[in-house]
Amino acid sequence: MPTASEKELKLLEKAAAEFAGKELVPNREENDKYPFGPFFDSVLDKAYELDFFHIVLPEEADGMGHGMRALCTILDCICQADSSLGGIIFTCTAAQEVLLAAGENKKLKQIASNAKKVADFLIAFPVFNNPNEIKPAAGAVKKNGKYLLSGNSEYTVLGDLAAQAVIPSKTDGQEGYSYFLIDLSDQGVQKSKPVHSLGLHACPAVDLELNDVPGDLIGKPGEGKQYFEKMTDRLNVAAAAMSAGIMKGSFKEAFEYSKMRSQGGKKIINWSEIKMILANMAVQIKIADMCVKSASQDADSRNPGWAAGSRAAAIHVQSAACDMTTDGIQVLGGVGYMKDFGQEKRFRDAKHLQALLGIAPLKKIKYIDSMIR
Amino acid sequence: MISKSEIKTLLDEEPRFNDITCSLQSVPKLPKALLKETRETVAIARKFNKEVVRPYALELDLKMHADPDYLPYDFVEKANDWGFYTMWLPRVFGGRGYSAPTMAPFSEELASACLGMANLVGVHYLGVSSLAATLNTRMIHKIFQDTVNGEKTGQPCLISTAITEPGAGTDVEEVELVDKADLSCYAEKVKGGYVVNGTKVFISSGHLSTWHILISYSDLGKPSENTVVLAIKTGMEGFSFGRIEKKMGQKGCPASELLFKDCFVPDENVCLDMHQMKFPRSKRAVATALLDDVLAASRAGVGAFGTGVARGAFEEAAAFASETEVEGKLLINHEWAQSMLAEMYKNVTLARGAYVETNYAIGLYGTTKDLLSKPMYYYSKFVPQFWIDKVIAPLLKKPFLTQMARKNRFKTISEKDQQLTSGMGSMAKFAGTDAGVKNCQMALEMMGQTGLRHDHRMEKLLRDSKLLQIYEGTNQLNRLNLFKCMVARNIPQAKVFEED
Repeated sequence: MPTASEKELKLLEKAAAEFAGKELVPNREENDKYPFGPFFDSVLDKAYELDFFHIVLPEEADGMGHGMRALCTILDCICQADSSLGGIIFTCTAAQEVLLAAGENKKLKQIASNAKKVADFLIAFPVFNNPNEIKPAAGAVKKNGKYLLSGNSEYTVLGDLAAQAVIPSKTDGQEGYSYFLIDLSDQGVQKSKPVHSLGLHACPAVDLELNDVPGDLIGKPGEGKQYFEKMTDRLNVAAAAMSAGIMKGSFKEAFEYSKMRSQGGKKIINWSEIKMILANMAVQIKIADMCVKSASQDADSRNPGWAAGSRAAAIHVQSAACDMTTDGIQVLGGVGYMKDFGQEKRFRDAKHLQALLGIAPLKKIKYIDSMIR
Repeated sequence: MISKSEIKTLLDEEPRFNDITCSLQSVPKLPKALLKETRETVAIARKFNKEVVRPYALELDLKMHADPDYLPYDFVEKANDWGFYTMWLPRVFGGRGYSAPTMAPFSEELASACLGMANLVGVHYLGVSSLAATLNTRMIHKIFQDTVNGEKTGQPCLISTAITEPGAGTDVEEVELVDKADLSCYAEKVKGGYVVNGTKVFISSGHLSTWHILISYSDLGKPSENTVVLAIKTGMEGFSFGRIEKKMGQKGCPASELLFKDCFVPDENVCLDMHQMKFPRSKRAVATALLDDVLAASRAGVGAFGTGVARGAFEEAAAFASETEVEGKLLINHEWAQSMLAEMYKNVTLARGAYVETNYAIGLYGTTKDLLSKPMYYYSKFVPQFWIDKVIAPLLKKPFLTQMARKNRFKTISEKDQQLTSGMGSMAKFAGTDAGVKNCQMALEMMGQTGLRHDHRMEKLLRDSKLLQIYEGTNQLNRLNLFKCMVARNIPQAKVFEED
């Protein structure tokens, strides 16, 4: 499998960290106001110029052809600062991975080649729902050799930004579900306003209402589940990397604040109760880092059990991030709950990301099911 | 089999029998009508939730996202119309005279629908208790009358409590720490009153309140013995509002900055000044009693908030599971989901038990002890209005009554009783609020992408719940206070807040 060299990884990490520090950190609070404030278009344009959306895309589809380690490195750095952009990269990559799992490299190349701006390149995707868990609410009917999609696609992430979307849909007379590529500018597509959500405000989702929208079948009919699972196997570790990034951001802010803030006549970092909280945070980060590094290396090398490693990493790190960001606010006390600091956003984002790719407890059930089989 | 003295000795061993059976001891002593009263307040809260809170809470939250400076007067006016701001003011002060223990179940109900709304009512009573704890009957009568008139005229008159400062938060709620706190709100004694300079922050309902019970200090070097409680009215010269904090949740209840710049507060607005009156106990003991009186009850109240939001999360998750098919069958019929819902139900029940038991303890050993005695309870309910107006009200303005009330309260302070009520208040606070956050997290895990959406309410509950672990003393401080009150009392070598 394609993978980046250590040198390339270092360069990617440096580029992502610099980008995050320069473009994301200074305007985090403002960017998080969306849709009640402007969208960070210029940030998105710059991320596109830096090829952050091309990481795992094969070279023949105009991508960088890197593996999961590279993707994890970038997502980790970006989510330390603001996971909304991480969510956009992840969503687009998930859609790309569905297409790749179905062998639709040509479609991807076509999208990449025709893209004149970032919106042309982005692919919207309902990345928080596993269609095996909650069935798709859209149906596809074949007419004159072409599929037409009708119904709803709830919470389609990037639906109001991207030119196209990958949508799961039931097909007449077919078991399971299929994926379709649709043009979001089609007149049969009705978009809701951005759905206001817990976190990732600048990674917006919309509800789509489809009315006889032409759909380009991805792979084979009824094989949607297989493509989703393949994508999930690979991208779970990337989801874990996003949560690990949030954890690092939360710890850094808590640690710095505790050195500065005094209570009861001494710096709060000298209260052993606070030290214990910080120690637990630091330990969890170390474990998360080890999980992500090991699982992404395994995924890139296709080592035995790599898919299980990727899933376990996501389950563990996402859960740890939810607990840790709760403590991250607690160290700051009242100000941690306010928008002036990044902690409240990290708390929301961590919980938001735990729902990536499906319902959290079911991910555990599926994990053990895979071992039973 | 066992002698009386043996029984006494054994039951005084830890855990002390009296500490672990507050409800059992309390119930036979309570007036029967209290149950009826509690049923009524819970029913009123449920009706208010259906008619006012649920239809509007999400809309208001969204409005506050769009305009963080929006002040929810509309919500406050509704609560005022329903009589919530006088409901727990005693009849002798013009209120509706509901008993204090009925407030926590009422708060749980409101909190199960919207914590912002619950706090818009609850924090007014924090102001009420802060003022009441000073036992200054003249000021209590004056300010409560304003609230009563505000209800009659449709112009809500809320009371806030101002204690937290930019440099001091957790430590101002603990007498052991306050002398080391980085305080700046200084009340300088001048002829005819005080001049206040400084800033208070995170004051819930600050912008919405007419009266502010300000905790200030006449000597910043030794605040524990120099506390001055002042009544500040919105509009007073030298007092102004600063920013409204941009909070993650509980957006319906604004957190305000209060600014004091050479603000002259006349003597008549001094609710309590440790130097102006003689107390039967040391100043430090009085300061501790004041804080404990207010915080034991308010922390139990925050425990009820936590219970409420834990219940709200449980209800949202159960409703979602009952109507959503997951992997071909309703989620409610997945065993793992049933187990999670059972766990959430357990969290609610235990959290409720904690605040209910704490309120029983306060009724037995704390501030509501006298009020809940049967003669006093029924007298306060049935004393004729003309008697209140003609005889009691004029007496309330007399300084001797304040002296008498203080003498009675502070002379009878028992360290043992204070430890129990304060420790249990802290326990109810962190048990309830941790349960609240935990249940919200569990509900969101069950609900997947649906839970993330604002229009499905659950994400708001999580955002709202997190603040509960911070205000009324962080849960970390409350754990230490529980240790100090309930554990360290038996371990002479244990030192609290003295770590090097």
